[in-house]
Amino acid sequence: MQIFFNTILVGLSSGAIYALMSLAIVLVWRSTRVVNFAAAGQAILSTYIGYEAMTRMHNYWLSLPVAILAGALISALVEAIIMRPLAKRTKGTPVESIAPVIATLGVLGGIRSLAGLIWGNTFLQYTSPLSSKGYMIGHTTIPFSPQNAAIVVGAAVVLLLFAALFKFTRLGLALRAASFQPEISRLSGVRVDRVRTIGWAFAGAAGAVAGALVTPTTYLSPNSLDLLLVSGFVAAVIGGLESLIGAVVGGVVLGVGFAFILQYIGTSVTFSAAFIILIIVLLIRPQGIFGKGSSREA
Amino acid sequence: MKHKSPVIRLLLLILIGAALIIGSGYVDQLRSYQGAQVAIFAIAISSIVLLTGYSGQISLGHGALMAVGGYAAVLCQSHLHIPYPFAFLIGALAGGVAGFLLGIAAARLRGPYLAGTTLALAVGLPSLANQFHILGGEQGLLFDVGNPPASLGSDFTQYRWFFVVAVIAAILVFWLLRNLLSTRYGRRWRALRANPTAAALSGINVAQAKVLAFTLSSTVAGLAGSLFAMLLGLVAPLAFTLTLSFTLVTGAVLAGVSNLGGSIVGAVVLVAIPELSNTAATHFGGSDKVTANLPGVITSVLLIATVLFVPNGPKLPRMKFLARTRQ
Amino acid sequence: MFVQRRTKGGIIAVAVAAAAALVASALPAHAETGVTGSTIKLGVTLPLTGAAAPGYNKIPGAMNAYFSYVNANGGVNGRQIKLIVKDDAYSPSQTLSVTNDLILKDKVFALVGTLGTANNEATTRLVNSQGVPRLFVNTGFSGFADMKKYPTTFPLFPSYATEAKIMGKYLADNFAGRKVALIYQDDDFGMDALKGFATAGTSFVAKIPYAALSQADPSVIGKWVTSIVASGADTVVMFGVTSATGALAGGLYKANLIGKVQLILGSVGSDGTTLKGLLGPLAPALAGSIAASFLPSPADATDEYITQFKAINAQYNAGATFDNNILVGMNTAMLTVQALRAAGTSPTRASLIKAIETKGSTWASAAFSPILYSAKSHVGYTGYWFGKLGLDGNAVSVDGPGKYTLYTTDSGSAPVVKAAATRPAMPAKGLPKN
Repeated sequence: MQIFFNTILVGLSSGAIYALMSLAIVLVWRSTRVVNFAAAGQAILSTYIGYEAMTRMHNYWLSLPVAILAGALISALVEAIIMRPLAKRTKGTPVESIAPVIATLGVLGGIRSLAGLIWGNTFLQYTSPLSSKGYMIGHTTIPFSPQNAAIVVGAAVVLLLFAALFKFTRLGLALRAASFQPEISRLSGVRVDRVRTIGWAFAGAAGAVAGALVTPTTYLSPNSLDLLLVSGFVAAVIGGLESLIGAVVGGVVLGVGFAFILQYIGTSVTFSAAFIILIIVLLIRPQGIFGKGSSREA
Repeated sequence: MKHKSPVIRLLLLILIGAALIIGSGYVDQLRSYQGAQVAIFAIAISSIVLLTGYSGQISLGHGALMAVGGYAAVLCQSHLHIPYPFAFLIGALAGGVAGFLLGIAAARLRGPYLAGTTLALAVGLPSLANQFHILGGEQGLLFDVGNPPASLGSDFTQYRWFFVVAVIAAILVFWLLRNLLSTRYGRRWRALRANPTAAALSGINVAQAKVLAFTLSSTVAGLAGSLFAMLLGLVAPLAFTLTLSFTLVTGAVLAGVSNLGGSIVGAVVLVAIPELSNTAATHFGGSDKVTANLPGVITSVLLIATVLFVPNGPKLPRMKFLARTRQ
Repeated sequence: MFVQRRTKGGIIAVAVAAAAALVASALPAHAETGVTGSTIKLGVTLPLTGAAAPGYNKIPGAMNAYFSYVNANGGVNGRQIKLIVKDDAYSPSQTLSVTNDLILKDKVFALVGTLGTANNEATTRLVNSQGVPRLFVNTGFSGFADMKKYPTTFPLFPSYATEAKIMGKYLADNFAGRKVALIYQDDDFGMDALKGFATAGTSFVAKIPYAALSQADPSVIGKWVTSIVASGADTVVMFGVTSATGALAGGLYKANLIGKVQLILGSVGSDGTTLKGLLGPLAPALAGSIAASFLPSPADATDEYITQFKAINAQYNAGATFDNNILVGMNTAMLTVQALRAAGTSPTRASLIKAIETKGSTWASAAFSPILYSAKSHVGYTGYWFGKLGLDGNAVSVDGPGKYTLYTTDSGSAPVVKAAATRPAMPAKGLPKN
């Protein structure tokens, strides 16, 4: 029972990180119909910038907003400089849906190499003042630390902020309109291009939160968020790509699922299991758990 | 476009192949190796072109299907002791079987959902080698196709032999695919890609056509995987990483996605880019940090620039016999 | 004409013989691939980028530093050593591609210190067909000592099986009756280790395998810890890479188990500097752990090899912190220089291999273990000593500073032998005169 409970806790904290990454992918998908494989790369760069901020200010909490702003800015730049012109050039051609995938893979590779060029391919420490020692319940230590709590809280806060934004603000409405009916939105006065860039910026911010919160539990290197690339995307697909709640549910399902598979089956099968979980979910609901059946095709 | 008969197409391809094979006697071993690499990549890219360019499905997991082909070929050769040309066939068949199973699921999925599923496959499948010890674990299994036939003379190098084998395989694959695409299957796929709803309304069994495309594409990927194993001399999980899958999709985009002949261009570019960026990085020199990471930066910039400025791949007017027919 | 030639026949014969002798002595010096009158070209492949790069990417800098030092002091028999470094990102297909470049384009004389098991396997056919010496490969896979399959390859590091056997003996001698859990990488590295522990007769209350690189996933670490707790183990043997050791320490700290379980670390994953980089403020969590090593601790200021290498590092490798990776690079480079010297004034690939087989076992090297190279064996080091990690992450011998007890054995069924460590002295100024 103790192991069962612990496994859920372990899964919950890694699931929260997958959820944040998955949110970043869903936000981009909703605003531009692009699967952003560069999300993990952008998060690496923003985390390095957060690391630089921390070494200068000696304060983890102050470095967080720096990392988040950097994440938003990097993401907006990627959209404005690469993705927007690309979308215009490929509109209506056979590569319309696949060229953006290649472009984001290019960005991912470019950012990783750039990070190696600047900071070197070594392990760096981006440390948080929160203890990574698990809480005590009675005489047993549970595998859940204050830093894990920060991760879970961070994911929840980001989710709530975005949910409120989409539901209650004009910007949120414009974001939704621009993604589902770009032509009509444009006619009704929405500056579609700008709104899309803002969608990317929000996504970059969510990814930056993921990077800055998870890195203190491990280390920082140009490849240290590689796992999130796959997990975040798989979580987003399980959740249905369209839905913020879906992204978070997908992340937690995947995190807890991985933890149980690791605990009871073995490590080598983890990603094969991700594949099987995904196939099962998608065979039952080809649009993901929270996806709408009528959503546009890629 | 006028339809050339399959026989004329085959003769043309054989001429090109013969010229390449004779030409390979005049280049050094390094170029032979790169030529073999190009031929194998061209086969693998053509499998993506078939899938994405013709049937409109996306796969980020073809590296895993290459692994299936590679491992199948190696296991057959080492346990059943069959001659290696048959091992390649078995590799192709194994890829096809895996692709058929995957295709059944894939036919129900669209766009990013399919991309996500195949991505998970690309990451998950090769790591299974660690779970089953018959697959050799992290260090993999060796694959030795032996020396070139003695009748070719003692100065016929191993790499030149690999080049010959890969070129012959590539010619067969291109010929078969090209002929297939001018049959009613090819027309069905094109109709499917252009407009699935219209295709369904005009009586095309969409699911069946998609599964068939996935199966064929995976068969070709399986063959490419077993040839890749020949070139490497081994199969190992690290040889079939996510990077390989991404590389193939990149090659397909460089090829122009719906252009079978472009596969060759895509393959040449894939082999040339790392070489060029390494040369450039060595030239600019500097610290270890720079020489290690500059090629990656250059490669990425070139990749983004290519997609941005030549998104539909190269124009290939002189290779019409391989180019996509437009109705 | 005829007569004239006849009368001069003796002179001509002498001239021809002299010319032939000249050619014979001059040819090998200029004809062997990668060797000119003034240079010797060597090549190395290892991961400089990608997930496996951190740590290993310091090795080529250290090798280059040592070679620069030797070059500045006259080189090897008047020739300057030039090392060409290629990144393979730990992917065997990239290793093959860049090794093709090294051998066919750059035309190196030999490969030195190439890293990774599958990576070296992928280039074996090329290396064998071209007869390229492949010296001191950076992997503990015991298979590379097979002289039939790898005639030009010389492994240096002790095999994982050797290490596990020795660790089993150490456990039996010092931790009898304890409940021991084993964490190991689930591939040949771990399989070799399991074999060694089986030979040593070590029994474990839990055996926890993990897939290579999966240690980056926090839930994998969570599983280790829950399994350790569930098994009731009080001693944990870690047979994984450094990042896995770091992750384990973090996991134990998180579960409040530091000080409650005794950690015993394999040599692969116990480099102090890398652990410090990985763990940051958590580094003291590893203090008190016992680690197996074959090279001396990089922090041992009393060790003549360490002090000399450190001085060279400061002069020729500015900015690089001296650690185990630097030590490995310098030690490999120093053995290479001795091999090149022994290969003669006109070295050939054949003479290089012959030199290592006949004289390699006598050369100066930092390890306490003897080297077993001979015409019949390509086995390198065979021994380990045990140290305790301090708060700084560096190991100090369990017998006290500077006092090393060495355990030696083979990869098979030979018993583990315990002896005081001896090794050849460091050549004066770190410059071999063999």
